[in-house]
Amino acid sequence: MSDLQLPHINYAALAPMLILFGAACAGILIEAFVPRERRYPVQLGLSLAGVVAAGVAVITQAGTRTITAGGAIAVDGPTVFLQGAILALGLVALLFVGERSLEAGGPFVAQAALIAGSEPDRRQVVRPGATEVYPLMLFAIGGMELFVAANDLLTMFVALEVFSLPLYLMCALARRRRLLSQEAALKYFLLGSYSSGFFLFGIALIYGFAGRVDFAGIHAAALGSDRSNALLYGGLALLSIGLLFKAAAAPFHVWTPDVYQGAPTPVTGFMAACTKVAAFGALLRVLYVAFDRVSWDYRPVLGVVAILTMLVGAVFAVTQTDLKRLLAYSSIANAGYLLVGVLAMSKDGLSSSMFYLVAYGFTVLAAFGTLTLVRDADGEANHLSRWAGLGRRSPVFAAAFTFLLLAFAGIPLTSGFTSKFAVFAAALDDGQTWLVVAGVITSMVLAFPYLRVVVMMWLSEPAESTPTVSIPGVLTSTGLAIGVAATLVLGLVPAPLLDLSTKAAEFVR
Amino acid sequence: MVGSTLPVVGGYLGSYATLGLLLLVGLVFFGVAFGANRLLRPARPASPEGKFATYECGLDPVGGDWAQAQIRYYVYAYLYVLFAVESVFLFPWAVIFDRPDFGMVTVVEMAVFVGVLALGILYAWRKRVLSWT
Amino acid sequence: MSTVLAAAAGEMATGEKVVFWILGPIALIGALGMVLARNAVHSALWLVLTMLSLGVFYVMQAGPFIGMVQIIVYTGAIMMLFLFVLMLVGRDASDSLIETLRGQRVAAVALGLGFAGLVCTGVYRALRDTPPAGLEQANENGNVQGIASLLFTKYVFAFEVTSALLITAAVGAMLLAHVERRKEDKRDQAARMRERFAPGNYPGPKAGPGVYATSDSVATPAMLPDGTSADRSISRILPTRELTSSEKTPKGTER
Repeated sequence: MSDLQLPHINYAALAPMLILFGAACAGILIEAFVPRERRYPVQLGLSLAGVVAAGVAVITQAGTRTITAGGAIAVDGPTVFLQGAILALGLVALLFVGERSLEAGGPFVAQAALIAGSEPDRRQVVRPGATEVYPLMLFAIGGMELFVAANDLLTMFVALEVFSLPLYLMCALARRRRLLSQEAALKYFLLGSYSSGFFLFGIALIYGFAGRVDFAGIHAAALGSDRSNALLYGGLALLSIGLLFKAAAAPFHVWTPDVYQGAPTPVTGFMAACTKVAAFGALLRVLYVAFDRVSWDYRPVLGVVAILTMLVGAVFAVTQTDLKRLLAYSSIANAGYLLVGVLAMSKDGLSSSMFYLVAYGFTVLAAFGTLTLVRDADGEANHLSRWAGLGRRSPVFAAAFTFLLLAFAGIPLTSGFTSKFAVFAAALDDGQTWLVVAGVITSMVLAFPYLRVVVMMWLSEPAESTPTVSIPGVLTSTGLAIGVAATLVLGLVPAPLLDLSTKAAEFVR
Repeated sequence: MVGSTLPVVGGYLGSYATLGLLLLVGLVFFGVAFGANRLLRPARPASPEGKFATYECGLDPVGGDWAQAQIRYYVYAYLYVLFAVESVFLFPWAVIFDRPDFGMVTVVEMAVFVGVLALGILYAWRKRVLSWT
Repeated sequence: MSTVLAAAAGEMATGEKVVFWILGPIALIGALGMVLARNAVHSALWLVLTMLSLGVFYVMQAGPFIGMVQIIVYTGAIMMLFLFVLMLVGRDASDSLIETLRGQRVAAVALGLGFAGLVCTGVYRALRDTPPAGLEQANENGNVQGIASLLFTKYVFAFEVTSALLITAAVGAMLLAHVERRKEDKRDQAARMRERFAPGNYPGPKAGPGVYATSDSVATPAMLPDGTSADRSISRILPTRELTSSEKTPKGTER
């Protein structure tokens, strides 16, 4: 016990997470002590400031390559890039979460504990929404930051739970269609904890194989260990289940449409953008740092998963009539394209996947942001048929949404094209032609549902029941502008971000 | 620790034997207590009609015996779990914090941990979860 | 304890084997009982059995701390939470047995067994010839001390972040379960009186349930002067019921 040494902790490298968790704790204090009327501006200001401050802290870490906090945290190029991406996307998501001008009191319910449909519940319809979402958002973002930086499986597991739990909670807080929202939260929670169980089981098997849980140790053990490889492969398989669940890859995707549909739309956008970054960031680190020596063994399996994911996403997207579900299946298909990038197992694969995550994140945030604008008396009108003729009613809005859909479809001059091109090129370089072929075919299938929405909006006559497009408030407008602009800029001049991601694409071990 | 072992049992299986002995003593105690009870008590069984019916102030019982528990019990139980988990972490901390070179740093680390959890009880207090209305 | 450590480090000791073969099946029975029990409270109690057995296993395998935590936190605190939830939902609330997907249950059982078989054979074959190693080093200075030194050196950040996890869970539980009473929802005496004498509301006390010579049940409605029964005299949560003949007959009198 005499050799017990306290670990050296590089506080500057941990600063983004410390700031976010600190701000989240302050948010809980605000919930407890600030009068109810003043909570909303204080909480919103605090969380925006916290995310921006964490962003500054991330930027100061550019170029750092270190392993700190007793080997638990690795701060390197991908960490900094992905942390920056999560913060940028999280900031935009916070803008949508904070919007209160579209609907009296914002998109969140005032008191989630009241029984849906009861008399007190009807009375609270006009009350301002719960402000606990802001600390929850900060905890989620902080957990994601830790998730992409974790350098051992134990820390990664804690981070997984830290960012999942707030998401489960926020799914249950929709102001409208509360039963659907609660059902979504329960489904997400049950399936999510189930997948965490698999993740934990995987950690146990890998510990049995390597005797350690840090990535460098697993990497070293993969070269030669006296333990049976069954432990290694079994552990990796179970670990991947946990991560692919969060990434919404088939066959672990079944929760996605229901949860995306039931959750409050700003939270859905947050999940589609930031959770994807976090999940793929962690998957990249696990596969590239810890298990790169067995990549020949897992690539075919994950390749099949990728193809299945793309197929399921594309085929089921065609049959959807609800826009949120449509975007959910599209997000599943995009997880498949991302897996193609991941499986390139090269520096290009890493950098193109990271670029894809950023590009897709901004587009999907803007898309879910536009969904919040189309409303009728019952809240958001997400059914496809209700969108008929919207192009005639509000051309600017419809043009923006059309642009986003074209980006999803991968039309040139949008970020969707450049990012797909980047991952497919990386995969081709590495000889993964079969994945690229599947990717291109499913992209063509997937273009159909997007184009159907476009045709619906522009070529149909507006009906009596066509809902109105609300005038967005400052927050939503800013968020939409950022999302659309990023989609356009990353399509026209992708080089700076591509360079940045290429420069960042080196893990520390 | 547990096993400075009783003087009667030692050697290879000492600890197991201690455990087994304890179990045995427990069983015997249970048996003796209940057996003695049974032997000593007067027994005049009779079962008139209605002896086993639930008694509700002289009224006929209606419906099942299940009453929905209030959800606030759950919140209390949850707070208890929270601090049970905290105490689990406190225990290992307590055995090492006074080691040389560990001192203040570990105390501060634990203080942060406990402080964050204390936020929970603070939140509960301000939301009037703790007062029974 | 030192003897346990010495024994556990090498071949499995006889005592350990005996305990395993007694408690292993018990743990398995508990798990099966939990899944198969019709009554949810019974399920919870079966689960307690399994968890207790696991706790003993941990202690036997020279992890007394984790064993005690298993018993205190899981069988103590968390099972209590389970039981509160069950009492909230109702122990009679049976699951719907209708399958939304045809054959789902059969498929789930088959896949579950397949998965269990795969993992069990895999782990068994992988670990069959593996000598246990590292236990002595890990418990060199005592089990709790070993855990503590890992917790405060290598995993100190994960440990601190756990507090964030716990606080999120606490706030979430209160958010979803606690109805905060707002000031504007409080009604003072004047408001209550106005409500009571408002048109359409009957201000007098409600008639009590029927206490007659023929029945003294709270489920029997009171009778109005015109001979009809007053539904308002029965609590709304009680099911109205037809009285059986035995209930109608006066009690305690010779017939």
